[in-house]
Order: sequence, then structure tokens, then C-alpha cells
Amino acid sequence: MNVSPAAPVTAPALSSIDALVLALQGVGYFADRRLATAVFLALQLQRPLLLEGEPGVGKTALAQALAKVLSRSLIRLQCYDGLEQREALYEWNYAAQLLHMRAAEGQGSADMAQVEREVYQDRYLIRRPLLQALQAPAPGAVLLIDEVDRADEPFEAFLLEYLGEYQVSIPEIGTVRATATPVTILTSNRTRDLHDAVKRRCLYHWLDYPERERELAIVRAQVPDASAALATQVADFVGRLRSQPFANAFQRAPGIAESVEWAKALVALDTIVVDPEVVSDTAGILFKQREDVAALTRDMAAQLLQPAETDA
Amino acid sequence: MAEGTTISQLGDARTGKLADNLTGFGRTLRRAGVPVDAARMALAQQAVMLVGVGREDFGAALESVLISREQDRQVFRELFDAYFKNPGIAQKLLAQMLPSAESRAEPAKRRPRVSEALAPVRAARDAPAPREDDKIDLDAAMTASDLQRLRHADFNQLSASEYRLVERLAREIPLPLPRYAARRTRPGTRGGRPHWPGAMQQAARTGGEVLRVPLLQRRRQPLPLCVLVDVSGSMERYARLLLAFLHAATAPRHAGAGLRRDVFAFGTGLTDLTPAFRLADTDAMLEAASQAIPDFAGGTRLGDSLARLRVQHARRLVGRRTLVLLVSDGLDTGAPEVLEGELGWLRRHCGRLLWLNPLLRFEGYAPTARGAAVLHRQAHGMVAVHNLSRLQDLAGSLAEVLRQ
Repeated sequence: MNVSPAAPVTAPALSSIDALVLALQGVGYFADRRLATAVFLALQLQRPLLLEGEPGVGKTALAQALAKVLSRSLIRLQCYDGLEQREALYEWNYAAQLLHMRAAEGQGSADMAQVEREVYQDRYLIRRPLLQALQAPAPGAVLLIDEVDRADEPFEAFLLEYLGEYQVSIPEIGTVRATATPVTILTSNRTRDLHDAVKRRCLYHWLDYPERERELAIVRAQVPDASAALATQVADFVGRLRSQPFANAFQRAPGIAESVEWAKALVALDTIVVDPEVVSDTAGILFKQREDVAALTRDMAAQLLQPAETDA
Repeated sequence: MAEGTTISQLGDARTGKLADNLTGFGRTLRRAGVPVDAARMALAQQAVMLVGVGREDFGAALESVLISREQDRQVFRELFDAYFKNPGIAQKLLAQMLPSAESRAEPAKRRPRVSEALAPVRAARDAPAPREDDKIDLDAAMTASDLQRLRHADFNQLSASEYRLVERLAREIPLPLPRYAARRTRPGTRGGRPHWPGAMQQAARTGGEVLRVPLLQRRRQPLPLCVLVDVSGSMERYARLLLAFLHAATAPRHAGAGLRRDVFAFGTGLTDLTPAFRLADTDAMLEAASQAIPDFAGGTRLGDSLARLRVQHARRLVGRRTLVLLVSDGLDTGAPEVLEGELGWLRRHCGRLLWLNPLLRFEGYAPTARGAAVLHRQAHGMVAVHNLSRLQDLAGSLAEVLRQ
């Protein structure tokens, strides 16, 4: 049965946008207000939320945080090229079905139509993420459809029924509707444009790199061992790295995930103050491309570190 | 609901003023090119009821409901500010964003080939050349339009004779793109995995006995194609016909629906022609392309253009399978080191990099120009494209280069 729109998600954390921001912070996710508004609306309007943005800005982490805040289970569908319905929705346990058929024949059951009905029973159904999300008991699940841009277009078309109606059609059984509307988050790195039909069914939010304060808060929350000064240096350095005019020098700017990793590495190396030498020794954590690591010269690191030092 | 509602002129939903404002805003967005349908507008109303109108959340809420592309965000924010602070500004802003809005009333220009088709029949000397096709130079084909080309040295459209030529080229010179086994499967007779649903269906008919296991075989899909066309002055005469040829030869009706093709023109800058290539009609494509290219028949800065390709589009198009066709004469005015680096990057990040060089028409051509030397070093192969027989070789060359 569908939950009617009049009875939206009613966890105490979700009475207002402010409450949502606080609740997310409570589980270590620092959302800015615009993002929180989009999430709030997605929950209230029971719409899927499509998150786009550069890699490492916290799209997947949002779904994980939401699952914690709402105390729901997180079901994850990782998309990849060639993903097919049977890996995303359901599959029959063919071996068991065949055994059932043979057994029925052995017992001399002549009614093939009856056997066929028996074979397509619930117990022979292998549930994959989408079906699991639809059949999750109340209050429902959080379904993360990760990197949906990696799947191909036929798969997108197959998602439409789920995204629009929270239901899927299985020929042998009929239509399966959500028992409790799953909170659905789609993420995309924009390696290609998604079809309009998918976008029409979703709310949309472009997740940008965080501003300095937010990034600092994230680093401090994720790497409690780092001193305040070190966390500030990390946030400042990475923030400046992403900003003009430095951004053009690199193929891919580091995301939040990279800043956190970097901070952890610096703590592990017992670094107290970040200097150009440390930066060039650990550049492989910030960048995952050889060209970028080479592009981050000591001079540039020194230049990037300078204002942070004068601020301090 | 709205806490501390301060913007009184918006009204609330009960008086209908809010609805009017929202609808007006939706229409404005649509005029600015942001796709907003009625369902979205209805959703926007609901969203506003949920977050209230008095705070910044109002804008964020509308944005998450009404926008679905990153590139629309800036337009949305500017329009939002203008519209809800002063609707008068919104009109002006719109006028700035749509400079061609007034010109729409003009009657549609006739394509040259339509005009030619309507003109009285001339003597038979315009008829297509007799069937010694293999010797026709593209140059010869171009003479028919020399006059027009002189008048506006621009892409624009094909004349009737050129159009016939391109049509014939595309029909007679197939460009079968090499295919690879994709990850998606379909039921078939050969393949590695059993097709269980099919086996079940058969078994149901034979009392649970599986007589023959149908298999899943992988679909074959054409290799993704990325075409980079030099539109500098020296390439002008080839660029247009080659674009037309590639457009026709890789059209879905020839190459199959699954083909991915990304097309870029480069001169002093880089222009994404992929949207233009999605148009079905070759003339419409050329017209859209000529409007999109700001620097047609200018110089060539191949290295810089490739750098832009890498920074802005690379993640979207290069992959280990992509077949890159680089159409250029290699007369580059940029720095050769930059070109060397960028080409090296491109070579490492694509399946095969093929250089289509119209200058190969000259006997004893050697890639001695600085740019040409770099191209020759970095490309996986070099193919001549200046006449019909050479174009016919193109498909064969593609297959050969891929085998290497």
C-alpha cells in the first residue's frame, strides 16, 4: 500500500529545516542550508532527490547520514555500465524452480498450469536492491542509487516507474508497490547527461565544494585527532587550491573526502605545521593523477600556504 | 508554514497572489530557456507551502524543484533575485539574455538547396558528373559553390550540388564503425552465460525437462566516436564537407542507434558541436555549427583547444574505447610543446587516435611543419581524406588502426 502524501515522514528530526540541519550534524554530516532545504522537501513531498556534483563532495555520504538520522536501513544500488534489471530489481531462483518442477512431475502432478503457478512463488524470488527498498517494512528504507550516470540509457528508462510511482511491475507476480515510501537518493558525477524523464521525477540539487567553515567543521569532526591549527591549515589550503586561479592548473580538484584523508595522513605523520615540503610529500593523497601531483610544485605550495600563515 | 512572513507583496496561497507570482516566475524561467513544465509548477506551489516565503529557504526550495541541470542554476538565481525583488528588472534581464527574441518574427530563410530546387531548370551542365566517381576531387565539387563561398566565407549551408555529393558520399561510402562486445546481453545462440528465464519457459512446456539451454550473448555496440575538426582558414574548404560527410555517415540510420558521437570544432578556441550533430538534417547541422563557431576560418591553436577539451569535457568523452578522429592539416600556430603534451594525454586516454590529413593529397607530402610533425608522432595513424577513393579507404583504415 502506498503511504498517502498527507502522511509524510514524521521523524522528530524532520519537523523543520533547522531541525534537519542539526540532526544531520549530529551524525557528522554538515549540510548547508540550501542542501538541507532540498532534502527537507524531498522527504516532505516524497520525491527522489538527484544530487549532482564533483566527486568527493559528499553525495553518497548524505544518503548514509540520512539513513542514520531517520533510523532506516540503507540499501545501496551501485550503478555500472551494463547494469541490468536482474541485478537491480529481482531474479528468479531458477535452479530451485527447476527442482520444484521435476519434483512435481515425479509426484505425477499433471496440471502444468498449476505447477507453473507454484514455481513463480514469492519464495523463489531473489530480491535485489530496488525490490528490497520497496518491500522494506515501515518506516521504509533509504535507497541510494549511486552514480546513476554510469548505467546506460535503457537502465534509466527502467528506473522511471520506480521513481515516479514507487512501484515496479514483475510480469509473473504483478505490480509491487512500496509498503512504506523509500527515501530515494540518486547521485551522479555527470559523466553524461541524464534523461529528462528521470530528472522530471526528481528534485535536484547541485552539490558544490563546501565553503571554508563547513569544510573546517567536517575535517574537525572526521579527524578529531587533528589540532585546531592543523585542521584550519588543511581547510584553507584545499579551499585555495580549488579556487581561481589555481584550479586551472589541475585536472581534478580534491574533494572533501581528499581533505579528510589528507588531514588523517598529516596526523599520522605527526605534522604540526604544514609546509611546502610536507605538501609535496603527501600530494598523492590530494590528487589521484600523476600530472596533478607533478603540477603541485613547491613554489605553488608555498604560495598557497602563505595567506593561511598570515591569517593565523 | 511561513515563520515571520515579511514579504507581504507575495501574498499567500489563499489569496491566489502567490500562485500568480509563481506561475509568472515559471513562465519567465521558461522564456529564459529553462525547461519548466506544469507538473513542476504544481510541485513548486507545494514546496513553498512547506518552507514558507519569508526566508532564503524559499529560493532554495524553488531551485531544488524547478531546476534539473547545473548550467541552469546561475540563470535561475539571477532571475529569482530580479523577479522577486523587482519584476521590472526581470523583463530587462530577459531582454538581455534573449537578444534574438525580436528577430524571430522574420520569415524563415530559405535553404540554398530549397531555393535552387525552386529556381527554373538550367542547362544540363549542372547535372552530377558521369560515373568516374573515384577520381572526383572534393575540390572539384567545391567549385560549384565558389561564388557563394566568396560571398560569405562561412559554413552556412550546402548548395544543391554539394548536398547531392554528400548524400552520395554517405550512401556509397559506408563508414562501418568497428564494434565491440558491450556489457549488456541478449538471448542468443552463442555466449557464455545461460539464459535462465528462457530455459524456464521451455522447461514448463516439457514438464521440467531442460532440453536445450538458451544462452545470453553480449550485444555488439559501435565504438564511441569523438571527432575533432580543424576549422581554421587553411582547412575551410575541407572542414565543411567532412563535417557533412561524417554527420551523414554516422547518422543513426547508418550506424545504428547506440552510437555515441561527440564532435568539436577547433580554431583559435574550442566549440562543442555535439548538440548540432544531434539534428537529423545535415543542412540544419551545418547552420547550427556555423552559428556556434565564433572563430571560423581563423588561425589554429590546436594545443590550447585540446587543453580546453581535457579540462572541460574529458571526463564526459574520452575512455579506453573511444575512437578519436582528428581532422587537421597540422598547420598550427600555437606552441609545439603544449601540443605535444596535450596530444600525448589524448593518445593515452582514448582507444585510437587517427589523424585525417587533407594535405596528403600532395605527392611527396611530409609532415615537416611543427604541428604536423607532432601530430605524426603522436597519432596512431594518418589517413588522407581529400577525394572519394580516399574516403572509401577510411573505413578500412579505421579497422586497420584498431587492429594494431
